[in-house]
Amino acid sequence: MLPEPNSSPENELSELLSVGIPARPDAIGDVADSINAILVRLQVPEQKQLEIALAVQEALVNAVVHGCESDPSKEVRCRLQSDPNGRIVITVTDPGPGFKPERLADPKAGENLYADHGRGVYLIRQLMDEVSFEGRGSEIKMWKY
Amino acid sequence: MDINVRKRSEVQVVQLRGALRMGPAVDNLRQVLDESLGSGDTRFVLNLAEVPMIDSTGIGLLVRFLASTKQKCGNIKLVQPSKFAVQTLRLVGVLNLFEVFDNDDAAVASYA
Repeated sequence: MLPEPNSSPENELSELLSVGIPARPDAIGDVADSINAILVRLQVPEQKQLEIALAVQEALVNAVVHGCESDPSKEVRCRLQSDPNGRIVITVTDPGPGFKPERLADPKAGENLYADHGRGVYLIRQLMDEVSFEGRGSEIKMWKY
Repeated sequence: MDINVRKRSEVQVVQLRGALRMGPAVDNLRQVLDESLGSGDTRFVLNLAEVPMIDSTGIGLLVRFLASTKQKCGNIKLVQPSKFAVQTLRLVGVLNLFEVFDNDDAAVASYA
């Protein structure tokens, strides 16, 4: 089986962070900050740091709120890896039933502009270079080149 | 997130410091804005000069309060959002919903 374009085989990825958090909104910020600290240490350019940090924040929010229904007895896992070319990949996993990303409404369409939710996945797709959903949507993998 | 509120010429000037994202930051700002709106304040200036990031939860809060204040003939105006905050607001199509100013004085004066 040929490797997917722009993806590194799993054994070429270096593990930078692997953490599980209880599905509580106030637990998200610490993980996002930890990832940001690693990106700073790796001397990732600031603009990319911000884009990755926000995408991670959005993925964690979705996992906590929608994947786990903010149930602190459930766990969200977050993994940060890099490949030999300096590409960053973040994987966020939740134990929820998943969802169909193609069914999400366009947050920029009409009345949706004034909605107080529904922008997370859209933002992730705009900020990251490659995004894929596994496990019927309970796992998101995001690449930044 | 630190939130500092002061009133100038019937305008609530809200100064924020820190990321505006899901969790205590958004919860606290929501409470501040809810209380102000409930007390009859309808004109707000939000100084974002020290806010490095706004996530979609923060954006949702801003947009919801913009709609709430406008229903009462008021507004929420933004001051000095960071380059990345502007990028984010533009990406999701809501930047043009807000009036943006370089400083608090100009934003407050625009209500006259």
